[in-house]
Amino acid sequence: MNSPTTFTPVGQDELDWLGTDPVPTRPYYDPEWFELEREAVFRRSWQQIGHVCELPENGSFIRRELEVLGASLLITRGKDGEVRAFHNVCTHRGTILVDEEAGKRSTFSCPYHMWTFGLDGGLISAPDFEAFHVTKAECALPQVACEVVGGLIFVHFGKPESSLREWLGPYANKLEMMPVARATTFSEYVYDINANWKLTYDNFQENYHLRFIHPSAAGPVTSPDNPFAYPTAYDFHGPHRSQRIWTKPDMDPPTGVQAMAFQRGAVCAMSDGILGTETAKDYLGLFPNFFLFGSPMQHFSHTVYPIAADKSRGVIRLYWIGEDETPSERFAREYFMATARDVHTEDRAVIERGHKGLASGALEYLHFQTQESLCRHLFNMVSERVEAYRAEKEGVPA
Amino acid sequence: MSTQTLLPEGFSGLEPFVTGWALAGSAARAGRRGASTPEERAAFHAAAAGELPRALDYLDAKGFAAFDDADERLMNLMLSLGHVALAVEQQKDAEPRHARDRAHMHITRTPAGA
Ligand code: FES
Ligand SMILES: [Fe+2]
Repeated sequence: MNSPTTFTPVGQDELDWLGTDPVPTRPYYDPEWFELEREAVFRRSWQQIGHVCELPENGSFIRRELEVLGASLLITRGKDGEVRAFHNVCTHRGTILVDEEAGKRSTFSCPYHMWTFGLDGGLISAPDFEAFHVTKAECALPQVACEVVGGLIFVHFGKPESSLREWLGPYANKLEMMPVARATTFSEYVYDINANWKLTYDNFQENYHLRFIHPSAAGPVTSPDNPFAYPTAYDFHGPHRSQRIWTKPDMDPPTGVQAMAFQRGAVCAMSDGILGTETAKDYLGLFPNFFLFGSPMQHFSHTVYPIAADKSRGVIRLYWIGEDETPSERFAREYFMATARDVHTEDRAVIERGHKGLASGALEYLHFQTQESLCRHLFNMVSERVEAYRAEKEGVPA
Repeated sequence: MSTQTLLPEGFSGLEPFVTGWALAGSAARAGRRGASTPEERAAFHAAAAGELPRALDYLDAKGFAAFDDADERLMNLMLSLGHVALAVEQQKDAEPRHARDRAHMHITRTPAGA
């Protein structure tokens, strides 16, 4: 049965403000540019770093490494239930305080000379402290700004110009409406990639590649009137952006094991009350490096952590509400995780190939079409910040 | 309480696949898919896919709390079937190349136990 032609792509006129010029390639591989990004982008932005379900109880903690800023973070839930972030660095002589990735404790002792800190970062005790020339209050763990929206934990290493909520604007509400806000657990897979973080991130904010790179997954979601499965809308707020995913109206129903996974998964999503929500088709890209897809059945986040100009790490999480309540739910969740992993596998391979080509220096410019406008927007946002930082450093007005 | 059979009553037809596919841990199941031959996948999928609805209904009725070893094996078998189905139903001939690329995607956590 053929559906009427209903799809209209977002027009270029709506996106003209982003510009149409070719985009210089250097920022996508140049180590010097990457050095500037560390400060201009990553020290000056809120960054997504975890979820409150990782800190289920007072005394829970996680350790997170943020290579882009050479930082190790200790994130705790205090006796008062507050989530706080600290540099995971002993204030005596700088030793990394906590080794474990996660756990539950009431104090943290440094192995070197046994300085002991509380969940609120305060120095509780230190052997022979009388011999020092400083007060305990001056020796608290250095705190990092930390705020939670929609269950997602964000940190800011500089002095935030605005609260996380203000910075996210209307997207804060969207996060609160999505299942992630109520998630209690997740599935996670992680990949390392020899590619710049922007190239990696860009892959996930254009649909132009779907039918070529994901032939098996993209087949069912494209149609003659939307052969590239372009989104129905783009939206921008400050440095953030989003798209509304288009779904084929007359999609063939799945068959075989896939059909069973969808059927069982839908029952679970229904009982969690997350089917048919307003945000189900929203795919948010929060600056600088975080995605969240509102789909209730495959509600995944994807963070691309920069490591070097040519190295990144992707962390994908499918957030779930409640533990596996039934064997059917367990089956559906494992199947959906494996499905998403298959798709991301295909992306990873082609992104590395893209980085290699650009890093050869063969091209001075790359090209973004209308339906790659989210990539262009990321480039604009990053280069604005890098240029401003550069000007500031050199003492010339931007 | 000892279980004499590998799988719950009514599922003995799947017993030949228990050793190869009834694996604990999502990463191990995904890894098994990656290391399998096309023939192994085809045989397992052909035998198990039709049993999936009945197996899930049986396991749902029983509930995790009442699982014995045979139930656990049936559960793990069905979870592995999910992985294998992606190869057989979706990737098809692309699976060998796909398996190589997929090895970079490390499963680190799942509610079922990674
Ligand atoms: S460096 Fe930590 S106690 Fe000395
Ligand atoms: Fe993709």
